[in-house]
Amino acid sequence: MLKKKICMVGQFGVGKTSLVRRFVDSIFDERYHTTVGVKIDRKDVTIGAASVTLMLWDIAGEDDLAQLKVSHLRAASGYILVVDGCRAASFSKAVELQQRITQTLGSLPFVLVLNKADLRDQWEVKSADLEKCGWPAFETSAKTGSGVEEMFLGLAGKLLSENSTGEGPGE
Amino acid sequence: MPTDSAVERLPSGDQRLAELRSLLLGPDREAWEGLRRRLENPSQRAEDVAGVLAEAVRLRSDFKLRRALQPLLEEALQLSVQSNPRMLADALFPIFGKAIRKAVTAELEGMLQSLSQTLEQSFSLRSLRWRWESIQTRKPYAEVVLLRSLLYHVEQVFLIHRHSGLLLQHVAALSAETKDPDMVSGMLTAIQDFVRDSVSGAEGDNLETVRLGEIGVVLAYGPDAILCGFVRGVAPRNLSRIFQETLDAIEQQKAEALHAFSGDVSSFDDCRPKLEVCLLGQGRPAARKTASRMAGALLFGLPSLLLMALASWWIYSLALERRWSNFTDRLRGEPGIVMTRAEKRGATHYISGLRDPLAADPAALLQAAGLPSANVAFQWQEYHSLEPTFAAQRRLVELKDQLEKRAFRFVTGSADIPKEQLFLLEDVAPQILALTRTATSLGRTVQIEVRGNHDPVGTEQINSMLARSRAVNVRAALVSLGVPADRLTAVAQDRDACSAISEDERVFCRSASFRVMGVP
Repeated sequence: MLKKKICMVGQFGVGKTSLVRRFVDSIFDERYHTTVGVKIDRKDVTIGAASVTLMLWDIAGEDDLAQLKVSHLRAASGYILVVDGCRAASFSKAVELQQRITQTLGSLPFVLVLNKADLRDQWEVKSADLEKCGWPAFETSAKTGSGVEEMFLGLAGKLLSENSTGEGPGE
Repeated sequence: MPTDSAVERLPSGDQRLAELRSLLLGPDREAWEGLRRRLENPSQRAEDVAGVLAEAVRLRSDFKLRRALQPLLEEALQLSVQSNPRMLADALFPIFGKAIRKAVTAELEGMLQSLSQTLEQSFSLRSLRWRWESIQTRKPYAEVVLLRSLLYHVEQVFLIHRHSGLLLQHVAALSAETKDPDMVSGMLTAIQDFVRDSVSGAEGDNLETVRLGEIGVVLAYGPDAILCGFVRGVAPRNLSRIFQETLDAIEQQKAEALHAFSGDVSSFDDCRPKLEVCLLGQGRPAARKTASRMAGALLFGLPSLLLMALASWWIYSLALERRWSNFTDRLRGEPGIVMTRAEKRGATHYISGLRDPLAADPAALLQAAGLPSANVAFQWQEYHSLEPTFAAQRRLVELKDQLEKRAFRFVTGSADIPKEQLFLLEDVAPQILALTRTATSLGRTVQIEVRGNHDPVGTEQINSMLARSRAVNVRAALVSLGVPADRLTAVAQDRDACSAISEDERVFCRSASFRVMGVP
């Protein structure tokens, strides 16, 4: 039995909690609830022949007043950088967070998520920006559910493959 | 060694040799000279030793140096304490202060726990059982209490990977209500991170106490794992030690797996027996709660009940005394009763005095007042009250008796009032008038029968007519004298009423007499 700790990070209001709720409970709530500290959920998934328990740490979004507590990411197997496609600033914040996490905890598997795909016509983040980074990216909509499961399973598969090659999580 | 002036005085060959020597050995000679000066200078020598002392001490790792330094250090420390104890106290305060605070806190917690247990155990049936067991087994009572009264129950034990917060293994008691242990494990780690970030920030500081209502959390920390127990009730102090020892054993056994942990928890399956050992506890929580409630009920309920009973008894006694008081007041005010003594000895009320036979019956009054007759002893002396009512009553009885003794005598075969009997009318008429007046004053109505009699001689028909006529004649005569007609009734006595047979006795049979109705 494998268990993996996955952290959701990103600017405030990008849809981290909504993505987790959509993935775990198949629910989307239009109302916005800000996360205080951290909220933990679990989801059992099967990838190939392997069963994995994903422990999803939904960490409070970073804003001008509250900084991301990197200690919550300690010993995580991977993390999900969530970006609100409608806010270019959230992409810059994701880039900044990624650098900070790498500096503090070393290189960890992660994926970039462009959320709010249902509002694609309002997106400010351009595909050229993503290509420039060269990071594995997914487009999701917590509202419609599109791409959500693929994104989580994609990261879980990546973690599994790294597990089988014997790479442990960075500290 | 020749000096320069000596060289000048040497012959030329020797001079050359000296110059050669000076050229060859001059620099060394200067160096030697410098070394000599340095060795002869104590301050310079001290500086040289200070420069290499630390390194020299570090290199000297055997015990010789420590043994050599030990008495010096002890003496220095002693001198320092004697000369300025405050300096040492200030230096040690950060260490001892923290340790002392921790020890005092632990001791206080222990005392509170003991007090709490003592309170709970002092007022229960269980404690009596334990005392009996202590007498039987000759063990000290405290030991029996300790054995039997560990009022806690470890419901769940979590083995958590310290860095990731992932649950490695979890065991729970059968009776325990468990929620998703994986999430509990994660949240505990998150709370710990939060507290550490918010309060101290130091990596070595750990969250030591978490308590929510009846559930307390026991935490033991190792380098790579945390052992956490959910305890219902008051955990004894040694429980933390047991958890720590269990965790140390697991850390030792699984050091490699813990260090290289990458999410595979199956390698910790064999830790379950160790965790199950930690599911300690004696005294069911429910029983404890019941005992606690019983103790509370006994502690507060029994005195309350006693107080309520006392208050009720006091109120009842007051009410009873008030009724007795009302009763004696009524007796005092009752016409024809003079109460001379009323006292209570034990449960019995002794009441004595004078009582007119016409006065109200005290026993009936007692019954009407709702008081128990068993608790009273009456002692009455008879007397005649001068109360107007009683005087009138007595007068009424007297008049009645007088009237009923009066009789008019008739000659044989006649219903006319003989002349020699007419004077009686003037006596009887006022008597009847007085009787009716007295009765009216007492609110009574009297009716007087004038009864005509006859002797047994003669036929029944004639005798009956004769008796009636005698009564009618007497009534008419009295009415003529002013007696109200509606108060008088003329009736004939039947034949058997007069059974005399001699002539002397027959005289008494030929009469008209009176019977007063309505007077007791």
